[in-house]
Amino acid sequence: MALSKEELKDAIEEKATKSPKPQLYIKDFYKCDPDSKPRVIKNVANEMVRDGRLMFWSSGSTTMYAIPGRIQNEEGA
Amino acid sequence: MAKHETPLLDQLESGPWPSFVTDIKRQAEKKPECWDILGVLELSYKERITHWKHGGIVGVFGYGGGIVGRYVDLPKRFPGVEHFHTIRVAQPASKYYSTANLRQLMDLWEKHGSGMTNFHGSTGDIILLGTRTENLEPFFWDLTHDMGQDLGGSGSNLRTPANCVGQSRCEWSCYDTEEACHHLTMHYQDEIHRPAFPYKFKFKFSGCPNDCVAAIARSDVSVIGTWRDDIRIDQAGVKEYVAGNYPANGGAHSGKDWGPFDIQKEVIGLCPTECMWMEGDELKIDDKECTRCMHCINVMPRALRPGADQGATICVGAKAPILDGAQFSTLIVPFMKISKDNDFEELIDFIETIWDWWMEVGKNRERVGETMQRVGLPTFLSVMGIEPIPQHIREPRSNPYIFWKEEEVEGGFERDIIEFRKRHAA
Repeated sequence: MALSKEELKDAIEEKATKSPKPQLYIKDFYKCDPDSKPRVIKNVANEMVRDGRLMFWSSGSTTMYAIPGRIQNEEGA
Repeated sequence: MAKHETPLLDQLESGPWPSFVTDIKRQAEKKPECWDILGVLELSYKERITHWKHGGIVGVFGYGGGIVGRYVDLPKRFPGVEHFHTIRVAQPASKYYSTANLRQLMDLWEKHGSGMTNFHGSTGDIILLGTRTENLEPFFWDLTHDMGQDLGGSGSNLRTPANCVGQSRCEWSCYDTEEACHHLTMHYQDEIHRPAFPYKFKFKFSGCPNDCVAAIARSDVSVIGTWRDDIRIDQAGVKEYVAGNYPANGGAHSGKDWGPFDIQKEVIGLCPTECMWMEGDELKIDDKECTRCMHCINVMPRALRPGADQGATICVGAKAPILDGAQFSTLIVPFMKISKDNDFEELIDFIETIWDWWMEVGKNRERVGETMQRVGLPTFLSVMGIEPIPQHIREPRSNPYIFWKEEEVEGGFERDIIEFRKRHAA
């Protein structure tokens, strides 16, 4: 059975926090709940960005997700 | 007054062609940070290494695309380009601008950015080059509130859809490309502004097979106008071309004397499927052999027109060269009616079936055309629920094996081996 939205948010946050990689692709979050459709996971991840629990990192061609503070802000780096 | 010595770049101004170096120097008189672009580029030419850092976390609130973070790795030496972010602005449909709109946009960009632009990026957006992080929100506010324009797509988003001039100016357009592009742009606002996919995804809408927006070369879903009845022939017009009274190609290439028009040589002889011939002074076409190359229509536009039963061919999977080389999109649906009467429902269903599959099966940074190549066209067609047709086949098969599915075999794969051995002794 698919996780509830809040459970999914917690699972995504845990994944993004514990992953050795600071930035994750959206597909990395699919494993958080194999019963949820990719679009559901995408919508939840984007909602978490709006809530400030995740942030986007973009190369220009690809977008990744990260926990705020886990990735380096290039400004002043 | 130049801030940096740039002898290598200066050489690029010496040829007969327009030089971007001259353009940047001119802009630097107004925007001093542009001297640092020249400085960092000169250094890269000398050291043969880039000094631009890749990507970043910058954006505007609520959006996950449209801004591309760019920073230089020598900010103390080149402070003007310490931040030099790119902004992608959605272009108007068919790239129709009023001069007032362009002036307003340029005023806005001079106020908040470097004033340097790229009209247009390969997706079609207006590319505004170079601004600082603190200018992004003020620019976005003015763009959306004062100008009513929006950011385009970037990253793993649906990219800004693009279309040709369509029926607004072109008599060959087989559907309303502007309506289709606008409708899908509005329908997919979330996918344009927030990342959704394993990688970028593009639509392009061309009204006829001339494909003026290069949909077949650049877009993951190429919607290319076509017709399924016969090319409309005005035999009186054909006679005028043959008599030399109408200029071929609508008068294009008329700067040189090409001699009298020769329909045999210039039209019939160049038909790729050899489906045209003359009977007396009448032009005949075997339309079932026509591959919609548009050559005859392009040469004799006052005599030949696309057929009247119009729609679009849907091809999937083009991309520019990145890892694997350039790839054209592959024909999937030979003909689909494209109509706003049903809110483009059939096209939207088609696109979303692709997305649902690709989001699950596509690898990170894999365009849908690469996923198709990896799994094979038969698998892709089966996912799309489309029966294979001869037009899907690029070339005859090169091996004798046919891989049947169990449901295609009478009685399935279960066999009574004893019964079998009675007839086929080992």
